[in-house]
Amino acid sequence: MEMHVKMERICNDFTINIATANGTGSQSSNLIILNSMFQMGVPVSGKNLFPSNISGLPTWFIIRASDKGYQSPGDKAHIQVLMNKDTWVKDLENLEPGTIVIYNEDVKLPVDRDDCPSFGMPMTKMARGINPKLARLMCNMYYVGALAHLLGIDQDALDSAVESQFKGKEKAIELNIRAISEGRDYAAENWEDEIPYSIEIRDKNPDSFLVEGNEAIALGSIFGGINMLSWYPITPSSSLAEGIIKWLPDLREADDGGSTCAVIQAEDELAAAGMVIGAGWAGGRGMTCTSGPGISLMSEFIGLAYFAEVPGVIWDINRVGPSTGLPTRTQQGDLTMLYEASHGDTQHIVLIPGTVDECFEYGWRAFDYAERFQTMVFGFSDLDLGMNYWSTSGFQYPDSPMDRGKVLRSQKEMDAVENYGRYRDVDGDGIPYRTLPGSGLDPILYRGTGHDEDGIYSEDPDVYYATISRLKRKIEGARDLLPEPVIREEEEQQIGVIYYGSMENSITEIDDMLEATGLSVSTCRVRALPYHSEVEAFIERHQKVIVLEINRDGQMYGILRKELPSHLVPKLHSVAYTDGIPPRARVYADMILDTLEVTV
Amino acid sequence: MSVMKLNVIDLEKSEYTGGKSSLCPGCGHDQISNVIIQAAWENGIPPEGIAKMSGIGCSSKTPAYFLGKSHGFNTVHGRMPSVTTGANMVNKSLSFIAVSGDGDTASIGIGQFIHAIRRNLDMVYIIENNGVYGLTKGQYSATVEKGSKKKKGTMNEQPPIDLCAMAINLGCSFVARSFSGSKKQLTALIRAAMGHRGMAVIDVISPCVTFANNDESYKSYNYVKGNDEVLHLVDYIPHFTPIEEVDIPEGEYDDIQMFDGSTLRLETVGDEHDPSNPVSALAAIHRAEQENKHVTGLLYYDGSLQTADESLGLTETPLSELGQHELRPSANALDKVNSGFRGS
Repeated sequence: MEMHVKMERICNDFTINIATANGTGSQSSNLIILNSMFQMGVPVSGKNLFPSNISGLPTWFIIRASDKGYQSPGDKAHIQVLMNKDTWVKDLENLEPGTIVIYNEDVKLPVDRDDCPSFGMPMTKMARGINPKLARLMCNMYYVGALAHLLGIDQDALDSAVESQFKGKEKAIELNIRAISEGRDYAAENWEDEIPYSIEIRDKNPDSFLVEGNEAIALGSIFGGINMLSWYPITPSSSLAEGIIKWLPDLREADDGGSTCAVIQAEDELAAAGMVIGAGWAGGRGMTCTSGPGISLMSEFIGLAYFAEVPGVIWDINRVGPSTGLPTRTQQGDLTMLYEASHGDTQHIVLIPGTVDECFEYGWRAFDYAERFQTMVFGFSDLDLGMNYWSTSGFQYPDSPMDRGKVLRSQKEMDAVENYGRYRDVDGDGIPYRTLPGSGLDPILYRGTGHDEDGIYSEDPDVYYATISRLKRKIEGARDLLPEPVIREEEEQQIGVIYYGSMENSITEIDDMLEATGLSVSTCRVRALPYHSEVEAFIERHQKVIVLEINRDGQMYGILRKELPSHLVPKLHSVAYTDGIPPRARVYADMILDTLEVTV
Repeated sequence: MSVMKLNVIDLEKSEYTGGKSSLCPGCGHDQISNVIIQAAWENGIPPEGIAKMSGIGCSSKTPAYFLGKSHGFNTVHGRMPSVTTGANMVNKSLSFIAVSGDGDTASIGIGQFIHAIRRNLDMVYIIENNGVYGLTKGQYSATVEKGSKKKKGTMNEQPPIDLCAMAINLGCSFVARSFSGSKKQLTALIRAAMGHRGMAVIDVISPCVTFANNDESYKSYNYVKGNDEVLHLVDYIPHFTPIEEVDIPEGEYDDIQMFDGSTLRLETVGDEHDPSNPVSALAAIHRAEQENKHVTGLLYYDGSLQTADESLGLTETPLSELGQHELRPSANALDKVNSGFRGS
């Protein structure tokens, strides 16, 4: 195709889609591109759409550069990299006219899109020249070189990204830098046409770096004083547990060289939850992490923690359900389950981070809430926030000391409590005092059966009702002590959008799309359940409120409907959608516009 | 004036008793509770240093009936081992005495039982084994023998799960079988188990007087009395009693040293049984099974295994006693983490 002489220049505002096969090392190549652009100060985000497979199935990586800071995957690819023969035809078909195509010539499949400027390179052949055995992996470095040439990525930034990707492995660093350089040189020598897209250096905050949400939670937990981690491997939460295991030796070694946190890979999620409860009962800070299927299995134990009032922390890194679902895709489908997990009437504290900074913060705060309220506390993240890379300016040190809750540790403390009983509401806040095994202080047999204020078995109707009413009051009392919502309010108070969790990464763009139609839109990000009274006030102030979420049924919408005063309910409108892919702004903005139109 | 008898830490036995049992009168489980009280008192374990653990079922209710001065946790069905694991990890100084049933251990909780053994959790795991689910009114459990018949209903046709054989195969460090009606043997075995460091499994046949105490039931009182294949006579010598002051038996005997310095003396009756040999332990179990008998005594012992907490290399102080200073890394440590990410 003829290129126009006068080409519109588009700088730092485009999306690259890279199609590869799983297990070919392409994640390294993709992260090198992401990190080198990040080093240049370009606001950039990366989404790994990977299969439930170790090797062979298709995977896509989406890199979006956006000076506006948009982090959701773009609505379309501006640059398509084709490496995978299995998806080649369909990937090509889906492209909009004008999309730039970079492809591996050695795949020997046609690139029959005359409306798309295409750039071929014999990547496998060139990689074989460096190392025949590693050609399958190395060929992915050639598209890094190709993109570096076309977009103008700094060699220094590339070198440093390669070095941090292959930390300490000198041979790998050398080979990969060589492959990237060969790719760049080939492109410079053989490709005459230019493309409209480029990147430009921006002032980078020298403190900023990219990190996965799971690693942030892992670090937060360690600074929160975790001392028992039980876990059962499940995507996408395993990297959280492995993050804790990785960091413990550096951060949590005692003076005698022993560890201050026991780590147990459990036989299943049931056992993992039981261990958390055992640890909490014995006075420790126990935690496990899992995904939806694990929560299903843990539910019986979660009811025990709620009813016997044992502290513990469970992180759910949500993947697509129900059942095994799409195990490597993202969703906010577990919210209702977490909030009301287990049989009978239950209600649990759920912390919902929307940024990696909050992942770290709630990582440590979760233990304080668990011990303060003597109950199971959930952290709720998802695959998108947990396993993709997000920017932070650095984690903030905890601003309050560890809260160990109402634990009586000596006879003197016990004597100071009038009319002590394990389940007696002495202070009127629904939270009783407790003693620890080993202390010899007023021991009881903890139980999941009905019990009176002294912990003695009881089937008395009045005793039972008093107990579950106090539990309700206890968790109610947490509402305004949990993280308050983040509100961005417009003066007009016309449309309010309530959202939570990883939707944070798409909300700015959605908001801009809505305001471009002339609407005035305020946003309110809920950061915990039971929801803060400020959420109710936000709804009260706005004419119409959209509840925006990444699931099918509108789970937060359901919770709000159930708990809000009835006069506010008619203001609420659910916009919920899920397909496994991190939320694309256009999809949700259009759904909101449709909903508003219908409800005018 | 009567003088109250005190144990080695000057406590009366009443310091070790619990609430009134709500089990059926004559239940074997109540006899086991009494033995636990006796064993803990005689061993002079401080009650506050004990944690009582159980699952769900008739047997799992019994921690309410013994050791009232100890904290305890009546958890969920079959999952007592995991709760014990978590508690043990954060407070390894506690002595865990757990009670479970055959439904709890051999069916719903068989996975957790297996993995607690595999980790060599430092606990005493007593199975009160009657071959039936009592609280749900008498259904067979998975430990009932082929050919055994409970009071009502048909004969059981499925082979039993032998929890001792399973424990031995998994390398459990202390495996014994006893009978709720053999007070002397059971007391010695529970006392030794309390002095052991690691997982001690004691499978105690405990007749269900309501649903399976008829003579056609292989776990009835009369049946066990008539078909008990005793491996050896057991005598427990606590660490605070000088062994040289104990009478030496006339026949052959074998002394087994426990972690706490106490001794379990096994006096040979009939064929000698070597509890360090898993093959002969399994042979004894299978021989008895072929003859529809119950073999009782210390089946297998290995005091050399690392416990779960030891293999994790935990710091000396129980983790539950650590404060913010030990549990929260410094601000400086976080600065280093942040700079590491920045690549500076």
